[in-house]
Amino acid sequence: MNFSEETLMAYADNELDSQTRSAVEAAMASDPEIARRIAQHEALRGRLKATFDGVLDEPPPQRLVDAARGVPAVRREGNVIPLRRRRARRIVWPQWATIAASLVIGVIIGQAFLRMPGAGAPVASRNGQVLANGALAQALSDQLASTQTPDAQVKIGVSFKSKTGDYCRTFTMHASTTLAGLACRDHNDWRVQVLAQNPQSGNTSTEGSASYRQAGSEMPRSVQQAVDDNIAGDALDAHAEALARETRWH
Amino acid sequence: MTAPDVIGSTDVRGMHASLDQLREQIVDLLPRLRRFARTLARDPHDADDLVQVAVERALARSEQLRPDSRLSSWMFGILRNAWIDETRTRGRRNRIFAPEELGENVGDAATVSHAEALSVQDAVARLPDEQRMAVGLVLVEGLSYKEAAEIMGVPIGTLTSRLARGREALQSMLADETGAMQ
Repeated sequence: MNFSEETLMAYADNELDSQTRSAVEAAMASDPEIARRIAQHEALRGRLKATFDGVLDEPPPQRLVDAARGVPAVRREGNVIPLRRRRARRIVWPQWATIAASLVIGVIIGQAFLRMPGAGAPVASRNGQVLANGALAQALSDQLASTQTPDAQVKIGVSFKSKTGDYCRTFTMHASTTLAGLACRDHNDWRVQVLAQNPQSGNTSTEGSASYRQAGSEMPRSVQQAVDDNIAGDALDAHAEALARETRWH
Repeated sequence: MTAPDVIGSTDVRGMHASLDQLREQIVDLLPRLRRFARTLARDPHDADDLVQVAVERALARSEQLRPDSRLSSWMFGILRNAWIDETRTRGRRNRIFAPEELGENVGDAATVSHAEALSVQDAVARLPDEQRMAVGLVLVEGLSYKEAAEIMGVPIGTLTSRLARGREALQSMLADETGAMQ
């Protein structure tokens, strides 16, 4: 079957109705050329996001925060300290670098996981998509946020249903660097939507392991943003999470 | 042009509640506004200036924010219009200074040597404004076609064809890397 380039783009942008979507997927399976073109669209998208997402992890300049809060310019420029108390800032992670998910796999593997004994790479590329692999894939399928141990190598954060009806889960993974990301169920795989890397922290950052922070605050902004963009309704509670696992996240 | 930020409405606030709440919601949106602005303006400082203009304009006309509209869409629309105003002003300036000043930014993608592959930012900066907005809203901001079309004040078909052309242009400018990746 033949599809216009716009249809293939719409597939990559998740804009097709389910019927056309299935037709495209069937064509992808039998026609490598179609799969290649879609992979190209997805790769471009990944590359653009990776280029521009970095700014999400930067704290916005004070002048913009002041403009939004209406702190008068005189005070902004003078020595007078604004009377208005600043709200406690959310934890920001300026050192998080958002990775071009579809691009830098080799880099991640090289930097972070070569020295990981026997676990294999956490992500693998197939048809231009980045899929969870090895220990990461296993944790995404099997691990429950409610029962995981504080020293687990992969930590699951929030799980939720996306606007397209797929289950998605955030994760962090500690090795010689820390990776954080969002993965969504795609047939029997976990497709990695966003991946961020914190090269500063490693195994040693147990940061008060007794009271492990809630997933949200652990996440770099680009991942939080991806959750906000994708989530439909609320995050799953422990019960819903366990049920979803029972159905293998379908 | 039906710009989202000039849609008149007498229905004030509603679910967007008090001005103070609106201010905090805008603070929370700043990272995304900055990201969108960077797809429009190549220079990060210009991009932040653009965000500042948009934030100030939004607050000055907060009564135009309709209760049923998303704050992010409304803000993106204002930012877009601020950018259009800015490029008009620049356009006038550039007519005087054109060739040298623009020398770095214009050029046929095909003439770019393979050895000096374009950075993604440079490639985006070379797109015509309308294509760049479509690319920024859909591919970078992750908005639906419908939302992006509304922000740009065009029918969905126009949006998708701009997006398609923008994508095609980017693919060819970045051909080396994207093509090789498969």
